Amino acid sequence: MIVLDLLLMLVIAYLTGFLYYGLYRNITARFQKRLGPPIWQSFYDSIKFFSKDESTSHGWMFYLGPIIMMSGAIMTLFFIPFFSSGESFVGLSEYGNLFLVLYLLVLGPLGNALGVGAAGNPFGVMGVTRGLSRLLALELPFYIALVAIMSLSASADIVTIANEQTTMNAFAYPLLFIAALFSFIGMMGQSPFDVVGAPVEVYSGPASEFSGKFLALLMSQGAIFTFAKLVLMVHIFLGGADGFVELLVKTFILFLFVIAFGSIYGRFKTPQSIDFLLKVPTAIAVVGLILATWS
Amino acid sequence: MDLSIFGLTDIVVSLKATSLANFFSVLIAFSTFVLLFLVKNFKLAKGFYLFFTLLVGSLFLIVYAADYLLFFIAWEVMSISTYFLLSLSLSKEVLHKYIIFAMASALSIFVAILILYSSMHSFLYIDAQKSFAALGDLEAIVFVVLMLFGIFVKLGVIGFHYWLVDAYEESLNIFTPYLSAVLSKMGVYALIILVTQVVSLSYTLAIIGVITSIIATFKAIQEDSIKRLLAYSSIAQIGYIVTVLGLTDGMSGALYHSLVHTAVKLLLFINIAGIIYVTNRSKFSELGGLVYKMPQSFVLLLIGIITLAGMPPLGGFASKFLIYTSLLDAKYLLILSAVMFSSASAFVYIYKLIYGIYLGHPTNKRLERVSEVPWSFLVPQYILAFVLIILGTYPALVIPEFNLILIELGFKTQDFSSYSTLMSNFGSYNGLVVISAFGIIFILVLLFMLRTHSKVREAKNRFDLAYCAEEPNEATHLHYGFSMGKELQRVGILNLIYKNSVKPFYDFLAKQTLNFAEIFRKIYTGKLTTNFNVAVIFAIVLLLWSIR
Repeated sequence: MIVLDLLLMLVIAYLTGFLYYGLYRNITARFQKRLGPPIWQSFYDSIKFFSKDESTSHGWMFYLGPIIMMSGAIMTLFFIPFFSSGESFVGLSEYGNLFLVLYLLVLGPLGNALGVGAAGNPFGVMGVTRGLSRLLALELPFYIALVAIMSLSASADIVTIANEQTTMNAFAYPLLFIAALFSFIGMMGQSPFDVVGAPVEVYSGPASEFSGKFLALLMSQGAIFTFAKLVLMVHIFLGGADGFVELLVKTFILFLFVIAFGSIYGRFKTPQSIDFLLKVPTAIAVVGLILATWS
Repeated sequence: MDLSIFGLTDIVVSLKATSLANFFSVLIAFSTFVLLFLVKNFKLAKGFYLFFTLLVGSLFLIVYAADYLLFFIAWEVMSISTYFLLSLSLSKEVLHKYIIFAMASALSIFVAILILYSSMHSFLYIDAQKSFAALGDLEAIVFVVLMLFGIFVKLGVIGFHYWLVDAYEESLNIFTPYLSAVLSKMGVYALIILVTQVVSLSYTLAIIGVITSIIATFKAIQEDSIKRLLAYSSIAQIGYIVTVLGLTDGMSGALYHSLVHTAVKLLLFINIAGIIYVTNRSKFSELGGLVYKMPQSFVLLLIGIITLAGMPPLGGFASKFLIYTSLLDAKYLLILSAVMFSSASAFVYIYKLIYGIYLGHPTNKRLERVSEVPWSFLVPQYILAFVLIILGTYPALVIPEFNLILIELGFKTQDFSSYSTLMSNFGSYNGLVVISAFGIIFILVLLFMLRTHSKVREAKNRFDLAYCAEEPNEATHLHYGFSMGKELQRVGILNLIYKNSVKPFYDFLAKQTLNFAEIFRKIYTGKLTTNFNVAVIFAIVLLLWSIR
């Protein structure tokens, strides 16, 4: 039973993730007055890549990187329940809590960083370095917001936090939500905090040396991971969801906001993004925390 | 124990085997045992064994002492024997720095103890609370400040860490694990005694602890020397312990983190000792690309850094979880966010630690000829890695033991249901499920990727990379990440940490001390006449004072 549950969660996250990614490519294309690729193009690409061999091998640690990243993404997905009712599609969430999920969120990227390092491609490590430096700034406002929410709901359990909300946390504590959104945009790899992959123009980023089925693995984990992160945000700030329709609507609205933000703004350099995140969103989060918990 | 034979009639000293003392003595004994594997790889001076034995003895005396007098004596023996052990390898300047700080620490603790003694005429811990309550306001403040100063120097809390980083860097590779894993824990022990037996200091300690951990983490990111990086990392980890130590619910987190930190720092420092033993290099900029030469060391270091980062499948997460939930319980929300921030920032130096040594490219031709470290380095690391994996799988394994300590110290006990579930007031997590889920998923993904594995072209040499359609060569700077974290210096707000240092303050202090000493130089000139005159004046002053 639990195995079937987990398998279904995985399939749903995989398909929805690629659907969203296809929509993302289309929507950004419209922003740039292009037509964009067919919606399922990235999905077909990933399936095709799975049947291809990689071009060069750099030893076993090189291969383990993407595999750990995929495992990290699946773990994250399994420890976040889909619905706030806590009955079906709960995964393994009863064995974990929000603190565990926060750590699982970085487990995959760190594992992949090992593979990137083993490949020895300096452009890959450049991406990792930028990613880690940016990560620390990214997490601070997010942590402050989450700590405040956990304290207010008196629980670190995701289902409890989702059910505690009579008005959605996003509207009850708007400052916390805004601060967390800044971090969330960065976590989703969107402008202005997308210097890690630096898509399109620079040949760098953690995926540099990977090809063939390992590139496919990285793409697939990206899809699963995106969906897991969206579900987490919906549970914490948007009151959770009781059915698939509600879940899809809420995650899609959040996703649309994030990519719209990403299409409009330019990219920060690494030090600029750290400086910005440690000042503006952090200040907003601290004010939000004080206002929310002052009693 | 009766000291009347020495003419000390009203002084009682005693030893007591409390659960807390037992816990710390297990840490001492275990660390000493693990370290003994390494002995045959080092050519040690004979004095090493003498002073090391003395040191271990004094450590046991510190934890089993039941009064401040015996504690102080043992503390002093510990400082002095550490001095001799350090003197085997330290440069003169660093050694002076160590001994000045150690003596200042011991003296201030001594004065503090005497202040406490003055109120009730007892050194015993059981009387300490009453003695402290009987002190006047000013005396109480002076007592707390002096005691904290003495302990903070030993812990290396930021501001008092001036001796620590240099001493760690230059100490013998066999002794550094002990410095970090055990000697810093004596500071933790002294602090536990202070906050549980004498005076509660929750908020002060939380603030000091969190500032320490953040500053030390960012300092660690900048370091090029491996041992200096780990020294700052030790300070940061101690910072977490100090943060939660004073909380009513934080003692189990502090104890758990002490345990995990002891194991992980032993593992990391032994691993580094192995690297230095094999390659004779100790800087990230001189190492790199050792992963396929030393696969066992690589995996063991990986287990170490996963724990140091507090990542879920291993023991590090259990202690972090207890620390976070106890701060959440105490409603120290901003401090909790700051601790989590410091913990996330640590990922940078943790990745640098494994990348700079094992991944990337060898920075030197000689590194391509090294092989795995001897077994005597690997065996202790395997033992420690096993401990960390067990703690990750059964995070509540030590909770029943901790509950004995908590009862003894008068705290609320930790909830306990099974060895695999670590419980708190804010939810629980199951280590067995987490580690087996991760293992199963990992193996399934691995099998899925292996299903179509055909013979892939091996990289011809290490320059066979996707490199913007160009071809790198020997002269190309490929070991990119060893200077990781340098870009943080360009971040305006972080310059608060990077542009400031305690060195100017201590330089100023040293200069003022020398100026002050000049006054005595005027009296003690070495000439007989001046000495005689001073003696006569002093005698007259004494005479006048006595007939006053």
